[in-house]
Amino acid sequence: MKTFFDVYKHLRRKNRKQYLLLSGCLFFSVLLISSYVSMMRSQTVLTILPEGGDSRKQVMMIFVLTVIGCMVFSLYAASLFFRQKSQETGILLALGADRRILIRLMVREMCVLSTASCILGIVLSIPLTKGIWILFRLLVVDTEEMALLLDPQAFLFSCAFSLAALFLLLSASARSIRRVHIIDIISESHKSEPIHAVPQKYGFIGIALIFLGIFMGYNIPSYIIEKLNWYLPEGISSIFYLPAFAGLYMVLLHAVVNGWHKKNAYKDLVATSQMKFQGRQTVKNLLVMTVLIAGAFFASFYTPTIGIGSTMEFNARSTDYVYRFRRDQDIPMGTEVQKLAGEYGVEITDWTDIPAIRLGVDGEDQIKKESAVGIMLSYEYKEVASSDLFLPASAYTAFTGEELPLPHGSIAAVSNPEGIPRLSVGVTLLTNTLTGRTLPVDSVLSLENDALSDCYVLNDEDFISMNEGLTDEWREMLCLFNVEDCGGSYDFAKALLYDIIDRSGEEVALFNGWDPVRRQIDIERTGEYFLDSEHLEEYGFSRIRYEERDSTVFRLYWAYMPKFRVLDRMDFVKTLAVFLMLFVFISLVCFAAVFVIAFTRTMTIALTGKGLYEDLRRLGASNAYLYRTVRSQAKRVFVTPAVIGTGIIYLFYVMMLYFNDGRISVQEWAGLSCCGLLTALVFCVYYGIYRITLQKACRVLNIK
Amino acid sequence: MLQVLDLQKSYQTGKVTYPVLKGISFSIDDGEFAAVMGSSGSGKTTLLNCISRYIPPDSGKILLGDTDLNLPDDGKLSLIRNRELGFVFQDFLLLDGLTVRQNILLPAIIGEMISDSVEEQADHLCTIFGIDKIKDKYPAEISGGEKQRTAVARALINHPLLILADEPTGNLDSKSGRAVIDAFLQARDSLSATIFMVTHDSFAASFCDKVIILQDGQIWKTLLKGGKERGVFQDELLDVIREMGR
Repeated sequence: MKTFFDVYKHLRRKNRKQYLLLSGCLFFSVLLISSYVSMMRSQTVLTILPEGGDSRKQVMMIFVLTVIGCMVFSLYAASLFFRQKSQETGILLALGADRRILIRLMVREMCVLSTASCILGIVLSIPLTKGIWILFRLLVVDTEEMALLLDPQAFLFSCAFSLAALFLLLSASARSIRRVHIIDIISESHKSEPIHAVPQKYGFIGIALIFLGIFMGYNIPSYIIEKLNWYLPEGISSIFYLPAFAGLYMVLLHAVVNGWHKKNAYKDLVATSQMKFQGRQTVKNLLVMTVLIAGAFFASFYTPTIGIGSTMEFNARSTDYVYRFRRDQDIPMGTEVQKLAGEYGVEITDWTDIPAIRLGVDGEDQIKKESAVGIMLSYEYKEVASSDLFLPASAYTAFTGEELPLPHGSIAAVSNPEGIPRLSVGVTLLTNTLTGRTLPVDSVLSLENDALSDCYVLNDEDFISMNEGLTDEWREMLCLFNVEDCGGSYDFAKALLYDIIDRSGEEVALFNGWDPVRRQIDIERTGEYFLDSEHLEEYGFSRIRYEERDSTVFRLYWAYMPKFRVLDRMDFVKTLAVFLMLFVFISLVCFAAVFVIAFTRTMTIALTGKGLYEDLRRLGASNAYLYRTVRSQAKRVFVTPAVIGTGIIYLFYVMMLYFNDGRISVQEWAGLSCCGLLTALVFCVYYGIYRITLQKACRVLNIK
Repeated sequence: MLQVLDLQKSYQTGKVTYPVLKGISFSIDDGEFAAVMGSSGSGKTTLLNCISRYIPPDSGKILLGDTDLNLPDDGKLSLIRNRELGFVFQDFLLLDGLTVRQNILLPAIIGEMISDSVEEQADHLCTIFGIDKIKDKYPAEISGGEKQRTAVARALINHPLLILADEPTGNLDSKSGRAVIDAFLQARDSLSATIFMVTHDSFAASFCDKVIILQDGQIWKTLLKGGKERGVFQDELLDVIREMGR
């Protein structure tokens, strides 16, 4: 060892555990971020998640949380590294080492370490992402759409994250050496991070703020839209959530500095005081963990909620097979369907076909004006504002058996029994859009039927008179039937679906919600209609293509997609495979991050408190007392974010379900219960990691 | 050798300024073993840290030989610390990742002065200070006294003009403390080292040629040992300290 460089190299070898910890943390952060971003930006996912849609927003939101979490985690690892290294740096400076040479050596070292860790993280994220996805395909579901197509451009973000991490690492290293007073550098590793006294009321005020923030964040933007006709820009809408974050910080601060058990404060004295003096870092870590746990649960709740809800909805349907088509299309019905059923050995027990007409309805036309402060809405009454499907009362009665005394000039609205009761309030005028004939109406009834939901029912004479002059483009047919053994009719259902699709023309390859009346109005006003095929991709939707008849987009968004119970039930996982697996993937990534942060933080607390535990032992503390103390600290790291993060997400979820339609349906309760089971399962794994961490911490502290 | 002229240093806490050194002046001759004593908060360690320029003084002059230590150039300051000053800290501040011998050689390695003769010198210092049997051990494997003797040997490896020692016996038992003082005496006698030591221990100070007593950031008294017996000088020191406490 002849040169300073040799000394530095030798010290690096001796301190390899610190280097390994830092590079491990960086590697892990980049691995998670790369894996997440490569999945999020893959063609597979982009095709399925509509741009601007809720799912993509949710994925993005959790991604932002993960990036923040990983960045804070990397910074924490870096600060720990430099704290441990500072004494060495200080001694070298005190003995006359040139500061510039030290900076150069450290910068070079950090560049090599972080570049290697980040490159490894990025490279290994590919097999990790593909590996998990292949496992999903092997073990859960495999569809053509599940073929994972990664976009190399996604790794640009990983590179940007790596560069940001490198920049922060370099500035932290330069800062740690540049400090003028060598004495400060030498004593850096002995410094604790005190938090000023935290008032007891912080805990309760924090909880109140969390409730308030979640309530305000979710409801105020909707309230503003409803009352002021004003869509706030998204960034501003998010501001209403801020009290929840402030509350979260206060609650964590209280939990770390004061603790919750005040009855016997001396019992936890050592644990509390030790946590208190590593306060800032601990609170930061717990904050990140809480947010990640909330994000992970939010993502993992998606699958059970959708799965249970959909399964229950399929089971609750009153009719096995329902489909509708435009009368200008040559779609099989009646005997043709009977014949096909016969070929598959399926017995049709009853058959109903109901004619329907599409009429213009009056209403408030929403006009959006974009500005810097968001979108302002104004409303203008139009005699023909949109269109709806109308059925004759006699057909409704024949199908449902319900007598419907509808007088002339009255309409009844049919809604799904599991949905929000739908009233025809607001519809006062019907128009035959071709002849211009109008019919003033008032609403008398709200009906419930899942197969005919979203339709209106008209008096038979009114139906006949309004039907006059309409072409087949404005007429539809609803076909409804049951079969003897629904569960055994999958092949028939698929054959019928394919037949319907094959015989549908391009003119009905329409996106769900496409409305000929709205189209006319939009084209007159702006020159284009956003649901027209040629504009769909522009607005973040995917085109409806008959050749992709088994794709998620087609099955979810084709305007004339039949509702076949057996098909929907059996193909549910396939149809939503990418959605479901993406959210499972995200929750895995977030939970992995949480587990690693909790483990690292607990081990750090144990390592930094090693001297204290030795002193306590000298003072006569038993192994049992020392174990209780370290357990108390580990518990705060593991339990506090888990309880708060889970609580927050349940609160948010329940509120979201409730405010969606002013109630929580049976399916939603069932979904929530399933989420409860999932939470219990995650907590079992979490508890296992807690036990392993505790054992490892005890081993480090020589506690038997 | 060392001249300190009107040295002033204060610390700021919020808006309050606390003066710690209030115009201190003294000098230490070549080959002299000098100590600074004083009660807690009197400014002893701040004085040492200012001389070593670990912290910059507010005003005043520090001359090491002909060199003014008030250098703005960080590189030159590093060079002076490496070549002309040797340090012994209360907490030893040895690098845990280096052996005793490597720790001793560290200043020479930093100063790019490593050679066979320097390595021989390190071995010689190990022999002088009775640590040759542990020279291949790591700091974690040796006693506090051995660590401090290693630190003294490290301070001497580059033949500095001045050794600055901050409470070198503070963390040691009496036997180890005595061994460290012997190491300093040996350094002075065999290697003509000049030593400036901060201590609160009158026993350690009684071996010094000169003792500066500080109170509230000012020099209260300077005592010279002259030809006095060590025990007599220690009594004299204790009398002064008692007088200061009245």
